[in-house]
Amino acid sequence: MSEQQVYEPRVVAFLCKWCSSAGSDLAGVSRIQYPANATPITVPCTGAISPMYIMSAFNKGADGVLVSGCHIGDCHYIEGNYLARRKMQLIMELLEFIGVEPNRFRMSWVSAAEGAKFAQVITDFVNDLKPLGPQEKLKKAEHS
Amino acid sequence: MINVQDIRDTARDLLAKGEVRAVIGYRRGSRGMLAEPAFITSPEQADELVWDPTCFHNLSLYLVHDRKFLDHIRKNPGAPVAIIAKGCDARSIVVLLQEHYFKREDVYIIGVSCEGTGVLDERKLAPHLNGAQASNAAFDGDDFVFTTAEGEKRLQAREVMADRCLECRIPFPKEHNAVFGEDKAGRQMEAPFAALTRFEEQGSGERWDFWSHHFDRCIRCFACRSVCPMCYCDECVVDSITFPVTTETTAEDKANRVRWIERSAVRSENITYLMTRAMHLAGRCTDCGECERACPVNVPIRLLNNKMEREAREQFGFEPGASIGGPSLVASFLDSDPGDFIR
Repeated sequence: MSEQQVYEPRVVAFLCKWCSSAGSDLAGVSRIQYPANATPITVPCTGAISPMYIMSAFNKGADGVLVSGCHIGDCHYIEGNYLARRKMQLIMELLEFIGVEPNRFRMSWVSAAEGAKFAQVITDFVNDLKPLGPQEKLKKAEHS
Repeated sequence: MINVQDIRDTARDLLAKGEVRAVIGYRRGSRGMLAEPAFITSPEQADELVWDPTCFHNLSLYLVHDRKFLDHIRKNPGAPVAIIAKGCDARSIVVLLQEHYFKREDVYIIGVSCEGTGVLDERKLAPHLNGAQASNAAFDGDDFVFTTAEGEKRLQAREVMADRCLECRIPFPKEHNAVFGEDKAGRQMEAPFAALTRFEEQGSGERWDFWSHHFDRCIRCFACRSVCPMCYCDECVVDSITFPVTTETTAEDKANRVRWIERSAVRSENITYLMTRAMHLAGRCTDCGECERACPVNVPIRLLNNKMEREAREQFGFEPGASIGGPSLVASFLDSDPGDFIR
């Protein structure tokens, strides 16, 4: 009898260098348990995230994409996260518009002191992604 | 009603006095009733200009071409270029000016108001003519009049007008040096974004069925990109073939270039292309509808751009092409921007 493989969603997490990346670090050193589904990609600022990154992550097979940065007002570059807020809302609306499940894309503010919140965000995201199953809509077809 | 002779006289005057070096307008094309873009450089040619319901091209594209050509031959513009612009075309010129693509004094805008009507959608006209070919089209109040071999055919403009014209809120070119026709802003043929609202009433599943069908059909001919005045980048992020190759470009450089999107016309790559294009046009697209008209396989590209336009308007109170000094959508923000979706 073959063992049933449990579906584990793959999450690409774009974390800002100054807050969320440090927050994920804190979650680690505090030994908080959270799902290991997220692949972190550190970016200088959420404002530096092109919507193209998100499309590209889905294109290369991500089941969910998380964008996380500093709280409003705390941006190292003063206004990067304000700009991100606009851009990410637009790409989120567009993804939903063409019929991609809204739960596949998420944005959060996690400061460097919020290790527990980071763990919670990842846990919630993975729990929401599991019932959706693998993301096939935007994924590049595999060549045979 | 616009008298086409007024447009011709203005063009002739401008060219005769040497105030402009060319007039970009419309003339009778070689295929049936359709107008085609005309580039008039001498006063005698001014009588070729026409203005009728088939003048659907957004001519501001040629201002971009002109600018690129001048850069290429390293020449200063000198006298400005005059251009005939409808409401939507004038707004795209404003966006180009906002982005400092050229200077205000480099362009002389001859505005034409669409008044109570707009331009024709050929696809809507076909069933009305029962297979006949129209040789001429003309505005007449709220009607379009077509000349066919069987005589004149009068149709209510709203039956054969392009969707974007039915939904148009501002059919008058606000930014202009000279203008013809009345400002009939506030006319309502269909609610703004009517087609989009109807589409969005469907569930997520139906929306995906619709889009996946269309994304499968895209042949990646890039006609939408070629016809769009806003797609002026020399290097297009979606198309590695447009990266400049010089004598210094090594094979390794070429191999290691970031390829965001494969060139094969398969669904996943088409999605990434069309979605990226919609994002790049957010807050810049003035809904001239040229992409959808140029599409050989009728992908409803306008819906994507419309969606972005409506989000920008509703969420951020942003209107594309409203004023030359205005901010751009994605390079500005307000404290009041919505943030409820962020956890």
